[in-house]
Amino acid sequence: MEQVLTVLKSVPNLVFFVFRIIIPILSLLVILRCYASMRAGRRREEPVVFLEDATSGVMIPVLYWENSIGRSKSCDIRIPDDTISRDHAVLMRRESGWTIVDTESKSGTFLNGKKIKGPMSVRPGDTIKVGATSLILKRVTDVKPQARPGRHQQAKTPSPAGLLLTTTLIQVLLFSQACYGSGELSLLPVLPFVVLLIVEWGLYFYSRRILSRVSFEIETIGFLLSGIGLALLSGQRLELDEGQALPSATTLFHWASMKVAYTQVITMVMGVILFCLMVWFMKDLERTTKWRIPVTVAAVGLLALNLLLAHSTYGSKNWINIGGASIQPSEFVKLAFIFAGAATLDRLQTKRNLAGFIGFSAICMGALFLIKDMGTAVIFFVTFLIISFMRSGSVRTVALAISAAGLGALLVFQMMPHVASRFDGWRHVWEDTQNAGYQQSRGMSYGAGGGLFGLGIGNGGMGAGTGPMTGKSNMLFAANSDLVFDMICEELGIVLAVVVLVGLVLLTFYVRGDVSRSRSTFYSISSCAAAGMLLFQTMLNVFGSTDVLPFTGVTLPFISAGGSSMISCWGMLAFLKASDERTYAGRRRGSVPVPQPSREEPEYRPRRAVRGDGD
Amino acid sequence: MNVTRKRSFILYFIIVAFIGCLGFFLFEYFTSASSWATNPVNKLATAQAGSNSTGRVYDRNGVLLAYSQNGERLYNSDKEIRCSMLHAVGDTEGNISTGVQTAMRSRLTGYNLITGLGTPFGLKTTGDVTLTIDSSLNKTAYELMNGQKGAAMIYNWKTGEILSMVSNPGFDPQNPPQDIGTNAAYDGAYVNKVLSGALTPGSIFKIVTTVAASENMPDLDSQSFHCDGSEVIGGSPITCTEVHGDQNFQQALANSCNIAFAHLSINLGANTMTKTAEELGFNKSFEVDGIPTAKSSYNVSTASENQLGWSGVGQYTDTVNPCHMARILGAIANGGNAVTPHFVKISGLPDLIGNSGESMMSSTIANRVKAYLRWNVQNYYGDKMFPTGMQVCAKTGTAELGENKQNNGWMVGFSQNDSTPYAFVVVVEDTSQYGYQSAGRVASGLMQAATNLKK
Repeated sequence: MEQVLTVLKSVPNLVFFVFRIIIPILSLLVILRCYASMRAGRRREEPVVFLEDATSGVMIPVLYWENSIGRSKSCDIRIPDDTISRDHAVLMRRESGWTIVDTESKSGTFLNGKKIKGPMSVRPGDTIKVGATSLILKRVTDVKPQARPGRHQQAKTPSPAGLLLTTTLIQVLLFSQACYGSGELSLLPVLPFVVLLIVEWGLYFYSRRILSRVSFEIETIGFLLSGIGLALLSGQRLELDEGQALPSATTLFHWASMKVAYTQVITMVMGVILFCLMVWFMKDLERTTKWRIPVTVAAVGLLALNLLLAHSTYGSKNWINIGGASIQPSEFVKLAFIFAGAATLDRLQTKRNLAGFIGFSAICMGALFLIKDMGTAVIFFVTFLIISFMRSGSVRTVALAISAAGLGALLVFQMMPHVASRFDGWRHVWEDTQNAGYQQSRGMSYGAGGGLFGLGIGNGGMGAGTGPMTGKSNMLFAANSDLVFDMICEELGIVLAVVVLVGLVLLTFYVRGDVSRSRSTFYSISSCAAAGMLLFQTMLNVFGSTDVLPFTGVTLPFISAGGSSMISCWGMLAFLKASDERTYAGRRRGSVPVPQPSREEPEYRPRRAVRGDGD
Repeated sequence: MNVTRKRSFILYFIIVAFIGCLGFFLFEYFTSASSWATNPVNKLATAQAGSNSTGRVYDRNGVLLAYSQNGERLYNSDKEIRCSMLHAVGDTEGNISTGVQTAMRSRLTGYNLITGLGTPFGLKTTGDVTLTIDSSLNKTAYELMNGQKGAAMIYNWKTGEILSMVSNPGFDPQNPPQDIGTNAAYDGAYVNKVLSGALTPGSIFKIVTTVAASENMPDLDSQSFHCDGSEVIGGSPITCTEVHGDQNFQQALANSCNIAFAHLSINLGANTMTKTAEELGFNKSFEVDGIPTAKSSYNVSTASENQLGWSGVGQYTDTVNPCHMARILGAIANGGNAVTPHFVKISGLPDLIGNSGESMMSSTIANRVKAYLRWNVQNYYGDKMFPTGMQVCAKTGTAELGENKQNNGWMVGFSQNDSTPYAFVVVVEDTSQYGYQSAGRVASGLMQAATNLKK
């Protein structure tokens, strides 16, 4: 009888436990469906236009937005003609139509018999002469139907609204835990939750109805991850000191105890705005490339400002105070770094020298070194490797950079033993739980204590939640930032923690698979760099806090508490979004103005069935 | 674009590294999560802030030894019981790794892989732990040790139940001393010497030599040993505390004559001595409730003749673990069959653990050695040292630890009476007294107190 009573009393407990089993299942579903939808929604590799060999009449399909023409095997349009340079010219599709640029070929490129200097617009019917070969630009519709591959039937893809609705359901389950999971009702998490709802659905309607965008998967994953982080932070009552009473159960707003969650949600809004601005900004490739230099200069300025104004917080000087708000300039420099590193195909072929970018990278990493933010410096380095390899294709450059960095690291360790001493605890955290392994051993211990499905938001031992460990002094240092992975494990379970990682890995897989469908190599390089940076940062955070890798103290994208980091993560997503050609294609709807293709341009038809959106 | 796509392959390096790290982490997680979660750094698990549901620890008579209340781990109200039970129960911080609060942390915290430390079903998943130790007997042992460094243990050689287990130095787990890390007086306070100690045995090792001689020398009882107090054997002297003259084997053991036992071990040879020592469990560890004991060590592989002689009297590099020594004595008492000691009773389960024994010697040999040890007590220590009817068989020892160091005093033995099947081991470190005086006093008091044990 007594046992029956105990069981009855714990019904809410049990309900929340079931919620915590459902959350990772639904999250995985959303992530997998988003991935499937992104993959299925891609354009097939079908020709956009054709080039007809004037002599033989052979139709050469033009598959991409930017196509290299040349003798080299790796060219998109390969013409086995000895009079042609290896990388002779680039045929590009721009807002204004098709454009041809000679990329420092030996014999030059001719348009309708005239040697070209700089980019020239090409119209259907125009003849491009490279070496001894003449090519005539043909519309797809001009080509005999049998030369055109048949249209593919699209696989049915889940509706974006449905995916976002599922995400919202996950968030309801999460935030209900934050409100009542510890057995003490608190309505404080309601406000961040409502803001989150408004932002995600607001962006959804803005993007789908007003901008008529086809896809919303990347944003959905962003909101799913941000929501998990926000719910975790909403279960914390950080600024409360021991003995200080919690605000009453029905309080809706309490700055002091909810400061971190409020900051998180405000910066998420700012991040989403930045995301929209960047996606809009990158629509125009010319504008984008024009701003590369000013952005680079601004980034260097920001770093200089950081070095001048920074106050030292916990060993590294990566914060500056502006009007009462602390910001971390290096987070924004990350965006500028990718922006500065990417380049269009014609530039890749003409400006092979990476000196400028290497110089900028050296400045960034040097500054981060002075700031003593080693984790971020390593992230920059890896991003540098991705960008420089994608630009140059030179394994030698990468090998050289890695050996230089290795030597540099060795020198640093030799000359500054205190840097090396930070690695002392690595793989030995259980032998020294009071010093070198203090944070990780506690993080792992609490994390493991969560079991598969967690103890519930606010019930953890590391987070100063509403549960047994109330009070600011009970928070393990950096529990909600550097050690947030362990916090997910403890409060929501390792299953969800792994699902989060699956989401970030699939995002990278998707970016990799979508590379050739970008509107320019600028977008593909920047999205690869952004995805690689996010994944590598995730790796440092997760496996640093679990003692698989040395502990460097970086944030977990979208989840860790940290305003600047949150903003910059959404900025990263903008690179991914801009790389997806569908972003700017729009849906074909009579009532909504669609960017009109120029007269000469074969119309671009996103081949995508959209369900449930009133189309 | 083709080129860019090919080069984007570089992302796979990060993906592969990431998945590799994830696999490694998950492997570690699923093999070690239990020990991570229940590590004392976890305040939820140590119940410093945790729930009242964290398991309690009881002694064999249901005396509450440790429990959680209002976020604190509390111990028995009697300070001497707390101090005496310290090494069996363990401390709050988990520094005493062999205490049940650490060794059985999963059970006490209710940890499992699925729900972690949580209790979503509302049912208490945490378990209590009942020890086989009698806390009042243990308190007596603690008082008898009187703050001297060392260890004392009594166990039932029939069932394996440890009835008392004390290790010094210790401290009060309710109020751990601030200077425990710096004060030399607390050296080894976290170590339970009964389970984890390995000390020079001195003359108690002669029991091992006796077993070897009994097994391998049919004419042992007809041999004669001559002692002049000192004799050069193998180039260096072997010395005795006094001149024992001519003796038979039984007298030599009772006299604890080093010269006689040095000759015996040399005559038996390094191989035979090692074989017997290993049959008795030397050079390997055994488990007490899953806790591995420290190894007793007997290694004469590089010993000279003189050193081999000294090894037979429990000097040279010999060390013994007190619990292991108790197990050997238990085997002698129990017809050669050694019952493994244990101190945890799993509540609800019948006490089956430890009842399966390991044969260390034949019953004939066991009975012969028992007779020698019984003769020892009757003729040398005196039966009045122990309660009437106990018929104690015992051996004392005084291990010399070299220059500038005091001795280890030992007394080991057992009651051969079936109704008081207790074996004891007492070691007092840093003493100038002989084992008979230092450890003997404790052993005598312990066996007296053991008569009050509830059956």
